[in-house]
Amino acid sequence: MRLSGTPSPSEEGFALFDVLQKAVDVGRNLGATYVELRGEDGFIEYIQMDDGRINALTQRIERGVAVRVLADGAWGFVTTSELDVLDKAVRDAYSMAKAAAPTRHEPIKIAETKPYKDTADIKMKRDPRSVPVAEKIRYMEQMTKVIRDYDSRITAVTVKVRTASGLKYVVTSEGTQIRSRQLLVWAYPWVTAKEGARLSAARFEEASTHQGWEYMEKVATPEFVGQQAARKAKLQLEGVPAKAGSFPCVLGPRVIGVLAHEALGHLSEADLTANSAFAGKLGQVVAAEGVYMTDDGTIPGEIGSAKYDDEGTPTSRVEIIRNSVLTELLTNREYAAKNGLRPTGNARAESYLFPPIIRMRNTYFERGDATEDEMLEGIDFGYYCADFRAGQAQTNASFQVGIQEAYEVVNGKIGRPITDLSISGIATDSLFKIELISRKEFPFENGRCGKGQEALVGSGGPDIRFSKGGITFGGKT
Amino acid sequence: MKTERELMDLCQYAVSVGQKRGANAIEVQCDSRIDLDAGIELGEVNSVSRSVGTEFAVRLYLGKRMGSAFTNIPTREALDEGVSMALSAAKATTEDKDWQRLPEPRTYKEIPGLWEEAVIKCEPDKVVRLTADMVKKAAAAEEGLIAAYGGSGTSIHVMAYANSSGTAVAQKLTSAYLFLAGVAPTGASMTPLVQSYDVKRGLQLDMDRVVDEVASNIRLCKKKVKANSGKFPVILHPQAYSELLQYTLLMSVRGDNVARGKSKIADKIGDTIASPILTITDDGTTPKGMHTSVADDEGVPRQRTPIIEKGVLRSFLWDTYWGNKMGVKSTGNAKRNMRQGLLEIATSNLVVGLGKRDIAEIISGVKQGYLVRNLQGAHSSNPESGDFSIVGNPAFLIENGELKGAVDGLMLAGNIYELLKNAVETAKTPHYLEGTIGPEVVFKDVQVVVKE
Repeated sequence: MRLSGTPSPSEEGFALFDVLQKAVDVGRNLGATYVELRGEDGFIEYIQMDDGRINALTQRIERGVAVRVLADGAWGFVTTSELDVLDKAVRDAYSMAKAAAPTRHEPIKIAETKPYKDTADIKMKRDPRSVPVAEKIRYMEQMTKVIRDYDSRITAVTVKVRTASGLKYVVTSEGTQIRSRQLLVWAYPWVTAKEGARLSAARFEEASTHQGWEYMEKVATPEFVGQQAARKAKLQLEGVPAKAGSFPCVLGPRVIGVLAHEALGHLSEADLTANSAFAGKLGQVVAAEGVYMTDDGTIPGEIGSAKYDDEGTPTSRVEIIRNSVLTELLTNREYAAKNGLRPTGNARAESYLFPPIIRMRNTYFERGDATEDEMLEGIDFGYYCADFRAGQAQTNASFQVGIQEAYEVVNGKIGRPITDLSISGIATDSLFKIELISRKEFPFENGRCGKGQEALVGSGGPDIRFSKGGITFGGKT
Repeated sequence: MKTERELMDLCQYAVSVGQKRGANAIEVQCDSRIDLDAGIELGEVNSVSRSVGTEFAVRLYLGKRMGSAFTNIPTREALDEGVSMALSAAKATTEDKDWQRLPEPRTYKEIPGLWEEAVIKCEPDKVVRLTADMVKKAAAAEEGLIAAYGGSGTSIHVMAYANSSGTAVAQKLTSAYLFLAGVAPTGASMTPLVQSYDVKRGLQLDMDRVVDEVASNIRLCKKKVKANSGKFPVILHPQAYSELLQYTLLMSVRGDNVARGKSKIADKIGDTIASPILTITDDGTTPKGMHTSVADDEGVPRQRTPIIEKGVLRSFLWDTYWGNKMGVKSTGNAKRNMRQGLLEIATSNLVVGLGKRDIAEIISGVKQGYLVRNLQGAHSSNPESGDFSIVGNPAFLIENGELKGAVDGLMLAGNIYELLKNAVETAKTPHYLEGTIGPEVVFKDVQVVVKE
């Protein structure tokens, strides 16, 4: 770690390459099959405002290195912030891999990839590191005011802002030397509203990993983000309870996106696939005709996009489901070798504190051909789900998505808002209940995924209609 | 690894630097940790990892303006710069009129058994052997059972806290764990992931119990059964209800949420909010609790705080800031996110009172109902209203006193305050989980929705 007053990362960047390369050489000389060092050096900031009070304001400059060594067919991993003892960290990782190796029946191998020497930069207008704290606090105060002014029944507002700006270095024993810029601007309000004894709550979040503070000035403005959260809390206060059971429904872009991520995306992560309902299903029909689902790490500007993953593999577009058939899985180098697949560039680590594992990037259902009018046509009673609070999936394809904005659909028209509920199903069954897929364009939802470590991911899709029996509503009546 | 004395010296050094540079109040917390883990993937030991780190969180006040900082370098120079960054942050922020003072010095009780020397001596080959043994036993315990994830490991944790009011406390803790998450094929699909673990301060881990729990649940998961929607008795395993409570009831007993109008039970102290069979306590002092410690993250001694006693709401949980604001004492429940500099109120060990009958006897008396071992989506509950709509997975059908098999897509919907009033019995044997010590709890008339 380096604190203020020492040289900037850009000045030190190439020196750090040398430090990492020397440590890689130590591992190679020990006889390791593969040595990978991932160094990070950057600015990270967290601010939380509760009802106008600053509850946390921490800026830090953090530097650290993740050391991963493959030896005798097993992994050793060490994380350290002490750059002057990297040799020891590599020796430790090597000896830990050697300790694990005798227990393995099948030695771990990694798929071959081309080594790259490259710099992946991001053009931004306002580096969040250089934006004064006072300006960030004004942004949060303004968002709090927008939310408070939206409805007099709003009683509590928490606003969180995270920013990051730094550099990441990946150096491997195969010759890869990649330097990438790391960037984040993120805003998250949580709103509470109250009327009599009735309480409601809603959240919203917006983030970018490709634009600087200008994103908060032009896209994630206090007005846009604040109004979204306030509107949802108000709707819930005025909503009616949902019914329990299965109904025809349309899931909007934010909800179908989380379904793509939770219910299907996780099953397509090759480290999970073998233990999931997608095991052995590559090449088989897993969805209704006309369903396409993709994970794409190359879409310019989207939150999960990057030029390389954390093993130095170029990111790519992965067609997980192509016209109803399970076509491809998300891989890292280990699982690509294990399954005879290509490395897709989906190895990601939250920070130097974690090893890279298989994660999604931007996961979505592709657009179909249904018109807007057709989407609700013929539904006597059902639901339109517009936004979610959180979701979770299981290996047996069971999914649950908590819904924070939904409406009744009565005689083909959007009706009353409803209060909190969740939807669930078995994804491998639900996919066959897809009736219509909208042709309309959709925005990605920017969110965070937890799989033992955090990853920033995009998800989305057009409006998708499910027939009765596809989605179960956990209502109360 | 630095000693408690060395870490305390660094904390007190940073406090003195802050005072010299004009802070009227300053607190510094240090966490130093060595974690050793052997991980499983696809039925084999996949990797061994060691994480070593020392972290300092600085929080200070200029008048009533707060600033915080973080460093992971255990030197005086790094702490000098950390204090400078916190001072800069405080200068940039706004005044918090409600802030009063940092915790005053207190006396601390010794809690036996928080540190075991054997954990410190545990080397990578030992955790590899433990993990490999567990994988082998799991495979032999049930046909088709794959140890999908899990592992074993140790943690050595030394902490120090000092502030400008004279509070100074250091403590050290060890822990060790075994964790097994298993699945098995079920023809065209897969069972849900079934998990079990044992975590203790020392290395006396019960591998047989962990493997048996996973294997017996996998066995039941292989039998898929149909079920009905409606209102039924539901037995929640502590793994399930602790998660649900964490996102509903326990959010509403946090003092900050009470003070901010975010708690539905803010005016209910002394009222009956749950069934008289329910007693729920926050206990940061119980020797068997994995969240037990001498002091919380702002140096306030841990204590035992009754939350619900025989159905009656007795207390909320407080840290120093919100306690001062509301005129009550901290209950020793401050938790600090070191990197974010955020202090929040959090439970220590949730202890649920025991009943008289064994869980097997309770199940044998259920005509039709469900046993839910784990939940999906508890984190999507509404913490303010207490409404929940979640999936039990794995969830097992009970018919005529017998566990018949697993139900796919079993949803539970309701409101936590209605559910708590419908508790009818607690089992007599506690499960020792991380952060929860409690038995299974039986609830009547739970709204169950099953997939058609």
